[in-house]
Amino acid sequence: MSAIPRPVAAMASRLRLKYPGDEAPLLFRDLDVTIHQGEKVLLLGPSGCGKSTLLQVLGGLMPSIVPIPLKAEQLVVPERSGYVFQDPDAQFCMPYADEEIAFALENRGVPREEIPGLISRCLDEAGLQLDNAHTAIATMSQGMKQRLAVASMLAVEPDTLLLDEPTALLDEEGTTQVWDALRNIWSRRTVIIVEHKIELIARDMDRVLLFAPDGSIEADGPPEQIFRDCRSQLQQYGIWYPGFWDDYAQGKKPLGSFASAGHAAAASNACAAPPAPLLELDGFAGLRGRQIKVRAERLRVFPGDWIALTGANGAGKSTLLLAIMRLVRSEGKLHLCGVPERRLRKPRQAAEHAAYCFQNPEFQLVTDSVSAELDYSLPETLQGSERTGRVQQLMDHFSLNGLGLRHPYQLSMGQKRRLSVASAMARGQRLLLLDEPTFGLDAAGTVSMMEQLEELRRDGCAILMITHDPELVSRFATRHWRIVDGEVREEHGQAPAEAPFQAFPTQSIPELVPLAKGAATR
Amino acid sequence: MNLTFPHQETWLHRVNPAHKLIVSALLFLVVLLTHNPNVMITLTIAALLPLLFFSGHPPLRLLLYASPFLLLFVSSATGMMMFGTGETLWFQYGFIRITEESFYRGLHLGFRSLQVAAVGLTFALTTRPVALFYSLMQQLRLPPRYAYSFLAAFNMLPLLAEEFVTLRQALQIRGRRPRGIRGWYERLRMYAIPLLAQCIRRAHRTAAAMEAKRFSSGSGQRTYFYQYSLSAADAWYAIYILLSSLLAWQLGQLWSLIPVSDVR
Repeated sequence: MSAIPRPVAAMASRLRLKYPGDEAPLLFRDLDVTIHQGEKVLLLGPSGCGKSTLLQVLGGLMPSIVPIPLKAEQLVVPERSGYVFQDPDAQFCMPYADEEIAFALENRGVPREEIPGLISRCLDEAGLQLDNAHTAIATMSQGMKQRLAVASMLAVEPDTLLLDEPTALLDEEGTTQVWDALRNIWSRRTVIIVEHKIELIARDMDRVLLFAPDGSIEADGPPEQIFRDCRSQLQQYGIWYPGFWDDYAQGKKPLGSFASAGHAAAASNACAAPPAPLLELDGFAGLRGRQIKVRAERLRVFPGDWIALTGANGAGKSTLLLAIMRLVRSEGKLHLCGVPERRLRKPRQAAEHAAYCFQNPEFQLVTDSVSAELDYSLPETLQGSERTGRVQQLMDHFSLNGLGLRHPYQLSMGQKRRLSVASAMARGQRLLLLDEPTFGLDAAGTVSMMEQLEELRRDGCAILMITHDPELVSRFATRHWRIVDGEVREEHGQAPAEAPFQAFPTQSIPELVPLAKGAATR
Repeated sequence: MNLTFPHQETWLHRVNPAHKLIVSALLFLVVLLTHNPNVMITLTIAALLPLLFFSGHPPLRLLLYASPFLLLFVSSATGMMMFGTGETLWFQYGFIRITEESFYRGLHLGFRSLQVAAVGLTFALTTRPVALFYSLMQQLRLPPRYAYSFLAAFNMLPLLAEEFVTLRQALQIRGRRPRGIRGWYERLRMYAIPLLAQCIRRAHRTAAAMEAKRFSSGSGQRTYFYQYSLSAADAWYAIYILLSSLLAWQLGQLWSLIPVSDVR
């Protein structure tokens, strides 16, 4: 902490807090936090440790506006706090950019004559160049929406900025733009950030607070110190830190036995023998409306391929996958496991050969429990004990054991994703299409998802995965397709010819800790 | 409300929304108390004219928007005609029994629904929700917390539609389409629960974001980005409605297209 005593911007002492409900556990037990004016503080911690809640307490939103059972000896909140939240689609109450900023100005009681001038000033400061401030928010990209959120936060003239994962749902370009915009405005202000993807901002921070899963503060210090001394905790809690992937690659160890029987059995009734391509595209085009959105001249996918599909926002990545699944209109030739497109009229027919996972797994989950969810996807011909056996097999295979009776909505994000992959693949399909399978996952979730997919790939499945993360492209994928100007092209020379993770632990992150510890002291 | 298709601004867009709402509501009362089908026909024509000429939307698109209402016109008219009661029998076939009284009553009902639909559609096509709620706050003292909540809810509708499409695709892939009454209930549940869950979460987040911009903890003295007041357009609108209603009543007495002056 700082040697020179500085005025306090926000403070909580002996804070106790829980979510409403009788059986809800205490989120914080006598927590003490002090943030000084002008400090840039990053709150790091595993999912569900209460960082976002603490941010709302320190900013004064809780409990005065959002009621919550809370007790504290002393609570100091900033005079004027400004927030940027995670979800670009749930920040705005007005349809146009200027009206949204005006809403914040109106709340402050700014005279009407001054409003238009202040709107353009806020937009300028947030680095959002619009030809016309009266732009419909719905037409803006996610990155622009988040910069608009920054602009409307500036409209309340905050002395303290509270940023609740402002870039968690953005692609790389949007992330850079938002952090650039924030860096431009935060120099003389206090900043408290909750964020998982910290590569871009770690060095701007004065202080990092590392939380343990029980909500206590595990470490408090400058970023270099935390990232140097607390690696094992960071790894254990599944938190991203700069250099995470290098440590991860160090941690991989030769593999003895690889449990592959599970899926091989599940896949037994699927398509033809390995050498045949699982997906063939010839002059294939995916349409949106009547317009060709994306084209693929001649592409083949073979068993054992793990293809990363990249491209800018709106390039047509999702359209390509949806067209393969017959969910949007298409032209040209498509073969799924040798079956031509004329025998794949309906999405249901395509789903016999290819599994598809949407970005938001909740939309794919239709029943009340995990086991019912898996049962629902199995072919109707399967009966009795064979059926329950297959459900159990899938749960084993996708690390969902013991969750059979849980409601799918009560699972963690990572578990939901794995469940959606499991239920999509329940019919033994060998081609898996995924729309950003690691979106919104923490490090532990991402690693376990990737390892799961690697296991499927080794069993002879092919994976076609949309992603924005270059680390995943270079570290996991065996091939790389990029969409440029509506054309899908194979990128050569980036991914190694050999599968990168021949040797890989099946267990996720906790297993990694002792190895990585060694790596840290090297 | 104002669908985001491109359209032209007309003088009807400049009528104060709260004023337009009140005048339209009063006109609705007049229509409810009209029992002379001759008057009703003229009132309907008077309501259709501004829709056709001053809504700012091209005629073909208007026809598309109005199609449900045209269907309503036909169904309410024929329903009353064929199954209503009456003395003077014109035609009978099984359950269908058309009498003179039911025929005219049906016609009256059809025109009434068409008139109400035309006024409503004109209102919706020429009023931005933002303008309506600002005007309600300024002219009719609607508390801001209701006004902005409604506007925030309007913002969620397109997202809801998008999610519905995704959900339908996801369910198409899951195959197995439940059939029958039970299946209908199953399908309703499959759509409703994820959509509701998303909406509740999003509503909560939006509310927090609004509060973070000091919606209820602000200075207390709200100012307004848009200021609405009464103008010449409001006078014209009121005069048009008043004159057309008076004219309809007069014409209905003098000149009867239909030989009935009271359908009750």
